[in-house]
Amino acid sequence: MKMEIIHAVHVLVKSLLIVLLWSDCEGRESELDYVTCGSLVKLLNTRHNVRLHSHDVKYGSGSGQQSVTGVENADDANSYWQIRGKPNLPCQRGAAIKCGQAIRITHMKTGRNLHTHHFSSPLSNNQEVSAFGENGEGDDLDVWAVQCDGTYWERDEAVRFKHVGTDAFLSVTGEQYGHPIRGQREVHGMSSPNQHNWWRSMEGVFIQPNMEPLHHDEL
Amino acid sequence: MAAKGMNLCNVCCLLLYITTAVLAGRDFYKILGVSKSASIRDIKKAYRKLALQLHPDRNQDDPKAQDKFADLGAAYEVLSDEEKRKQYDAYGEDGLKEGHHGSHNDIFSSFFGDFGFMFGGNRQQQDRNIPRGNDIILDLEVTLEEVYSGNFVEVVRNKPVAKEAPGKRKCNCRQEMRTTQLGPGRFQMTQEMVCDECPNVKLVNEERTLEVEIEQGVRDEMEYPFIGEGEPHIDGEPGDLRFRIKVLKHPVFERRGDDLYTNVTISLVEALVGFEMDIAHLDGHKVHIVRDKITKPGARMWKKGEGLPNFDNINIRGSLIITFDVEFPQTQLDEQQKDGEDEGSVEGHPGTSVLTGLLLGKVTLLHDLPLGKMPTDAKEMSIYQADGCNF
Repeated sequence: MKMEIIHAVHVLVKSLLIVLLWSDCEGRESELDYVTCGSLVKLLNTRHNVRLHSHDVKYGSGSGQQSVTGVENADDANSYWQIRGKPNLPCQRGAAIKCGQAIRITHMKTGRNLHTHHFSSPLSNNQEVSAFGENGEGDDLDVWAVQCDGTYWERDEAVRFKHVGTDAFLSVTGEQYGHPIRGQREVHGMSSPNQHNWWRSMEGVFIQPNMEPLHHDEL
Repeated sequence: MAAKGMNLCNVCCLLLYITTAVLAGRDFYKILGVSKSASIRDIKKAYRKLALQLHPDRNQDDPKAQDKFADLGAAYEVLSDEEKRKQYDAYGEDGLKEGHHGSHNDIFSSFFGDFGFMFGGNRQQQDRNIPRGNDIILDLEVTLEEVYSGNFVEVVRNKPVAKEAPGKRKCNCRQEMRTTQLGPGRFQMTQEMVCDECPNVKLVNEERTLEVEIEQGVRDEMEYPFIGEGEPHIDGEPGDLRFRIKVLKHPVFERRGDDLYTNVTISLVEALVGFEMDIAHLDGHKVHIVRDKITKPGARMWKKGEGLPNFDNINIRGSLIITFDVEFPQTQLDEQQKDGEDEGSVEGHPGTSVLTGLLLGKVTLLHDLPLGKMPTDAKEMSIYQADGCNF
């Protein structure tokens, strides 16, 4: 009887080991849990399920700058934004973004930075959020602080973006545009944190930090 | 009967030979062309270069191409994994416990993208009828150190992938003209939206790791494409992901083509009597400089072979050009120092007082030199300062 139990346990442990070893083979889990400097991301507003988006369409009112909206579809390259450091203070490529860190969010296709200022948004009369600058260079109102719990901005965590300068939170409350950008939602700044200003990273190209040093002094 | 026996013997011998050959295991280091102490970066670089050369689509006349390519994949799979490499180094290929489970396709596409490079050249021609998803361009900042030594950047790509879903959907929708007959000889043309029926798709996010190589000597704005890693198109092919190199400014070295420029400040004494120093280069090695003549402010020294490797042929290197700036004392010399009696130092330069007289003598000499006369030393070029010295 004892021998049978021992044998059964032996088989169990062996099969468990095989399963573990085999599962390791399946494919590497992503080792990168954080959003890092230089990465391209799509940002999803968790309350309204739309992605932060911009395009070569200007506001018809307010500042007349390039508009920023929220879109439903997940396969548009115009929803990609690059995470970069402040002007004159570049972040190190691949370094995880810390909670509280000031960053710029640059629209990949047009090279303009996520920007807000004291203009009214067209649909809801909140603070207008636009895309401003050329080739990634705009002005001091391009800077946003990432607000999250913990040390670093985690990829599957909802965070808030608080504007450095006007203290507005990047938000969506659901108002929709008509022609020519029918169905897209208004993105604006709101003064207080609430359920409408949570965003999380979705699709993207996430740069990993450098592993080895470039020259081998220790040899 | 004897012949049959002979054949059997031959077959047995052949089988034995084959099995021993197989069991002997492959030399992965030799397949990749790297030394036993190669770094992971060297291994990735070797794989990437050989994968392009040995891909079966590129070698359609070689019957062994598939095997060579498979060997390459196996070699990379083992040597790029720390654990497996240790096992292989100790016990050989037979000592590897788990066997090969990753397909070579996975490894290849992490360096070149889903569709590999085969479509790279042909993409334009095949493209016209197949709709394509958007391209993604990522500006990749690289340091001058990385341009000098090369590097690999790992990147995690999370992208939406079209998967089959239950049901049907409308696709290829287009406007068509329909003609309806209203009566004899009377027709009406109307526009109508006509769609085909296609299997339903949904977009599911998938993740994989890509390896981007920063090749030695890479230039600003150069692009590294990963075919098929861009945005999907539900009715067609995905677009591409391209990494565009942006070389960052370096605090010490300035790049001009394959040449590097840097400034070094020397003291007044060194400018007159010469000096010897080491300059730390981008990969840490020291460039030794010796000078035993007078060095004028703005003088340049040319160090051949100490520049950046040329992208097209890394055996050719540019030059390092060092421009010397001379640091003059900050405070005025007092009477004693001017007379040369004070054996102390001026602004930390011991022996300056002894030289002050020398300096005055030298000044006269310099003023005597006709303007525009250049030294004839072929190795170095100097820029003559017409201002002269003010004392």
